[in-house]
Amino acid sequence: MHIDIPAFIRLLREGKLTAAYQKIKEKNVLPSICGRICTAKCEVNCVLNSEKAPIAIRALEGYVSDFGRSKFFKKTPQDLTGKQVAIVGAGPAGLAAAAELARKGYRPTIFEALNKPGGVLRYGVPDFRVSKKVLDAEINEIQALGIEIITNFYVGQTATIEDLFERGFAAVLLTSGAGIPRLLDIPGINCGGVYYGEEFLMRVNLMKGGIFSRYIPTFHIGNKVAVVGSGNTALDCARSAVRFGKDVTLIFRRTEDEMRVRSQEREYGKEEGVTLEPLVRPVEVLANKENMVKGLKCIRMDYADTKGNGRWEIMPVPHSEFILEVDTVIIAIGHQPNSYIVKSMKELKLNSDKTLSVDEKTLMTSSKGVFAAGNVVTSAGPVIDAIVGGKKVAQNIDEYLKG
Amino acid sequence: MFEILNKQLVADNVKRLDIYAPNISQKVRPGQFVSIAPEEGDERIPLSVVDSDPQKGTISIIFQEVGQTTGKLGTLPINECIFSILGPLGVPSQIERRGNVICIATGIGIAKVLPICRALREAGNKVIGIIGARSKKDLLLEPQMRLSCDKIHIATEDGSHEQKGLATDIFEKVLADKKIHFVYAVGSVDMMKMVCALTRKSRIKTVVQLNPIMVDCMGMCGSCRVKVAGEMVFACTDGPEFDGHKVDFENFKKRKKAIEECDECHNQKLPLRSRKKGSGILTKLFSGFLKE
Repeated sequence: MHIDIPAFIRLLREGKLTAAYQKIKEKNVLPSICGRICTAKCEVNCVLNSEKAPIAIRALEGYVSDFGRSKFFKKTPQDLTGKQVAIVGAGPAGLAAAAELARKGYRPTIFEALNKPGGVLRYGVPDFRVSKKVLDAEINEIQALGIEIITNFYVGQTATIEDLFERGFAAVLLTSGAGIPRLLDIPGINCGGVYYGEEFLMRVNLMKGGIFSRYIPTFHIGNKVAVVGSGNTALDCARSAVRFGKDVTLIFRRTEDEMRVRSQEREYGKEEGVTLEPLVRPVEVLANKENMVKGLKCIRMDYADTKGNGRWEIMPVPHSEFILEVDTVIIAIGHQPNSYIVKSMKELKLNSDKTLSVDEKTLMTSSKGVFAAGNVVTSAGPVIDAIVGGKKVAQNIDEYLKG
Repeated sequence: MFEILNKQLVADNVKRLDIYAPNISQKVRPGQFVSIAPEEGDERIPLSVVDSDPQKGTISIIFQEVGQTTGKLGTLPINECIFSILGPLGVPSQIERRGNVICIATGIGIAKVLPICRALREAGNKVIGIIGARSKKDLLLEPQMRLSCDKIHIATEDGSHEQKGLATDIFEKVLADKKIHFVYAVGSVDMMKMVCALTRKSRIKTVVQLNPIMVDCMGMCGSCRVKVAGEMVFACTDGPEFDGHKVDFENFKKRKKAIEECDECHNQKLPLRSRKKGSGILTKLFSGFLKE
């Protein structure tokens, strides 16, 4: 991100919150989001790690963005280049790219398929990690830079990329993210009461309106919930389900320390009452007469050296099957990139793992003037990577349009 | 933004809405659907587009009031705006000249088959329509179907209109009489399953339109997964039309039934404040207030 951290901390020490906020905002357009859910690579690589504890930059960023935000957003005059850029998807990567382009004097337009901008931050990350109010404030601030956001517009179906070029856009940026669930193929996966993590979180996020939300859960959640997976999505699902007052068990086939979440979040989950069952793999979903979930047959896993060559791998323990009595199963074992756009534009090329193939240097896809960034290129990654990707691609688009 | 321009009661509990949606009306083709959320915070429901007018910029949808969201959609008056419509979604149906074509539909499926019938006829096919319903008052779009088919057979289960019996009975007879090149079926799972069983013997290409539960309709939730030819596919992005001989109907039916039943019992437990009258003015006012 290249944020000037020493200067930021110096300003903070002097008590100049707004100035510190501006310092962050120069380089990072979504500080309050990063202050909450960033993976904080800076803290992992901090020089103070060897001595005691790293500088908690993430917490400082969150604090500054909550209290240092100026009430009035100052619009900086820009000389417009007069070229339009279309951005597909209003997720973190799209928003970061749009803000960067707007600063360079372009007039980007974001096309979003769902009814509100935010992408995964709105429909994936639950309310307790990033509140919708914070997100709205961030998006409003970005919008004030002169960005138009068109919702309910599915590029590829409502209009194709060729149509966008015809409408006068000089370049198109694809940031459709990685929101397609990876499917699990075990018997009984199609019975009622089995959800994928994305569906569960989307339903939870869609139905909450406001304080007086006309909140009627429109889907069935049993009293005992099993969540399968060890990533952030799985933990988010588990913690959301706990908030419905359910008995939640999180099962995953690795050990607890190998979970791909921050240890802090894991501890929060435990405190809230999520039961962790490490080293377990689901084998079969058992259904009752009405074809609803009745239980989940699992098998214990452990490290074993079956081949005897010194490589310890996770293998199932023989005869260790047991039945977990649950009535809802949520599967969150990973994502795939959202590359449905290829269907409407055959020129775009895909890699073997369904990500869009881009030129490494220019980040341009196989079609001229069409760029891609974010998780649709990297397949999976934290929000911060998407923001960095968006910023980078914005510079490339600038270079491309200037020739 | 998406204004309701016209509203019509088509049959018992079945309504037709004409909605202003210029972007969608220009792109939509037969077999595609839109995803609608009537008010903010509602779940999205997939509804197939029956008709579109690119000049006026309108699309027409026909739906049956069965659940909470369709009930709410039915209560919206003319000139009210719908919160969100996304579309057109799904793969458009492949319209080719094939010869003698049967379009069979029951219940609400008649609304879905109408644009397909029109398109097939325009492509130069001889279209035989077979439509069925429980009774005369449940039968929709009869005049429109008569106009868009070369020959039409109507069946009602209680015999209150035309022939008594099931649509599949007539289908069997027609299949025996004539040489048929293509069959298109929409309706209940049992009907589609039976049609496919009948055509499998004579290897007539059969296309069915599936209607599973969907959440976002863009392939991001995995709720509409169906097994086709042993592979798990999403009905929203790969469908909703599939080769009828390859669909695993047992699996599909089980899943659909389980979800619907549990939704039903869930719906009954809760007070349905907004089922018939829409949300109260006071609640609406307050929720708008406090959301800010």
